[in-house]
Amino acid sequence: MNWINFEYYFGFVLLFWLLGIIALIISYKKNSAIHIANILFFIGWGILISFVVKLWIQLDRPPMRTLGETRLWYSAFIPLIGFITFFRWRYKWFLAYSICMSALFLVINYLNPEAQSKTLMPALQSVWFIPHVLVYLFAYAVLSASCIVAMKGVYDLRKKLLKTSTIALADNLVYIGFSFLTLGLLFGALWAKEAWGHYWTWDPKEVWAFLTWMGYLIYIHYRYFHPNKSKQALYILSVAFIILLVCWFGVNYLPVANNSVHTYTQ
Amino acid sequence: MTKQKQHNLWETPWGYVESFIIGIGLMIAGFAIEISASSISALTIKFPYNLIILLSYCALLFVAYKWFSNVQLIRWLSKVPAAISSITLVTIMVLIMGIIPQAPSDNNFVNLLGLNHITTNWAFLLILLVFLTNLGLVTIKRLLQFKASNLGFILNHLGLFIALTAGLLGSGDLQRLTIETRESQPSWIALDEHNHQVELPFAFYLNDFEIENYAPKLALVDNETGKLHFNEGKNLYLIEKGNSYEFGDFQIEVKDYLESSGRIGDKYAAVNEIGSPPAALVVVSQQNKTLVEGWISCGSFRAQPQSLKINDQISLVMTIPEAKKFSSDVSILTKEGEKINTLLEVNKPYKHEGWKIYQFSYDDTLGKWSNISILELVKDPWLPYIYIGIFMMIGGAIYMFWIGNKKLKPDNDELD
Repeated sequence: MNWINFEYYFGFVLLFWLLGIIALIISYKKNSAIHIANILFFIGWGILISFVVKLWIQLDRPPMRTLGETRLWYSAFIPLIGFITFFRWRYKWFLAYSICMSALFLVINYLNPEAQSKTLMPALQSVWFIPHVLVYLFAYAVLSASCIVAMKGVYDLRKKLLKTSTIALADNLVYIGFSFLTLGLLFGALWAKEAWGHYWTWDPKEVWAFLTWMGYLIYIHYRYFHPNKSKQALYILSVAFIILLVCWFGVNYLPVANNSVHTYTQ
Repeated sequence: MTKQKQHNLWETPWGYVESFIIGIGLMIAGFAIEISASSISALTIKFPYNLIILLSYCALLFVAYKWFSNVQLIRWLSKVPAAISSITLVTIMVLIMGIIPQAPSDNNFVNLLGLNHITTNWAFLLILLVFLTNLGLVTIKRLLQFKASNLGFILNHLGLFIALTAGLLGSGDLQRLTIETRESQPSWIALDEHNHQVELPFAFYLNDFEIENYAPKLALVDNETGKLHFNEGKNLYLIEKGNSYEFGDFQIEVKDYLESSGRIGDKYAAVNEIGSPPAALVVVSQQNKTLVEGWISCGSFRAQPQSLKINDQISLVMTIPEAKKFSSDVSILTKEGEKINTLLEVNKPYKHEGWKIYQFSYDDTLGKWSNISILELVKDPWLPYIYIGIFMMIGGAIYMFWIGNKKLKPDNDELD
């Protein structure tokens, strides 16, 4: 069977979020509507989380093995980042983006139904599995948020409207995302030592994870020493995100993918 | 990338253009060595030479920073343009690794430049040396000017430096052996990566090898191509007695399921012999109309598989069960006559006399009836130092998350 009742949860989440987006648009005219928008977003998010919990219980294993399952986690994390940045910096557009992004990933999952497969290969049965995947997906969610900030930054730059607060937001997100990326990478190394006998084997996924890490490393160093060169920094950030996407989805399609230990979706 | 002021090439201090010229020049030199010399690598240096090299390198960095920091080369190596250019060039080399399979190739260009063994490629090693030297120099600088606010910087940079140097230079001392153990037999001859025999100072006695399987899955296949039909094979369902499954508009009910069975005529019955595969009795219907009923089995090394033809295009098959868990109950017999019992499992290695012993593999043609178990033994004396580096970086990452980026430097190229 496919994920049981996913379509109902999916429907309700989208309904609440659609109403929330409408409220958010109204809030540009009437500011108090933003509270209603937030409540609607939050209810939708709660329904989504309850689905994740239910799926975990039904599968008897952490739902983190297949691409569809990682997309589900991404959908769960990105609104959280939207809420936090909203309460911290009051960016409505960013909240709307995170909700839309999450909805998009739910739609992708809805259109690509996956079997509710309970199997989990022995190499994945480890205490490191959950921290490794969750830390990574949280990092991906934060860094994709930083990419959208970068795109807005490039747009603002064209219009000569770039505010320092926009690039400061990108910096904050990259610092948070990068620290999680580092943790994910290192947890992976510690786990690999236990499972395969070596902490680093240049497996294709490892290569691309390393490249992703290096991409953000370049951004951080560039920003640190050239805080006034916003344009180049914004482009570096966009390229780093492209590498991240290759690492997450693209590796499977590269000629190097044949022997990767990270391809778990048959 | 050049600075705002008028800056002529090679006018000191060197900027980005010079940095990239030096870096790319080194890489070209590295490729030239690849072309002219057969590939030998710095990575096979063994103890104590690797330790001597590491200590001299660190001493050299210290001396260079302390007494020669006004030399143009050292000044350049401890600044931002060298950092950003070497990070970028290392990234480009790794990018090649991420695109070109690191395996024997029949492409002349790839072979000529050694693009299929980047980790031991001279171009990579040379640019990595620039990267490490830069990293080492800035770390020494911060260590000597220690402030509490530098803690995150030191954890990240020193941690990376330790992990990288220990990993690179220590790889010459890394030993990875595999050993095939048979049930009720002692084994002490292992094989290294080049299939040379290595005698172990202890023996393994395999008491029992066990595999626990998941139930097999149901799948629809195309009769002609043999490919998985319906939703690109994403929907494969674990077989469970009494359950019904939907594949498009087919309903499939499992009336009976035998974990271990033998074929009798056109039926299957429960038997418990070596090589007896699982089998299931299934009913396929469409719009509540029964189409076909019969047995399917995935077969084994002794038994033929059995599929059920639904119509001219598709058949129902059972997939080979996936392993849920495999484990070896082994005794380690030492020369002193000691006997240590342990259970080896994937993700649960055992430590003995500096070796880590892993459950590695088994005879997968026999599957759950395998009576051999392949173990892997790994000895990595440099591991503690790599772990020190890794844990420092974990600390650095947590620090970075907590503190974030409080301050940005003004636009000058100083690394402090």
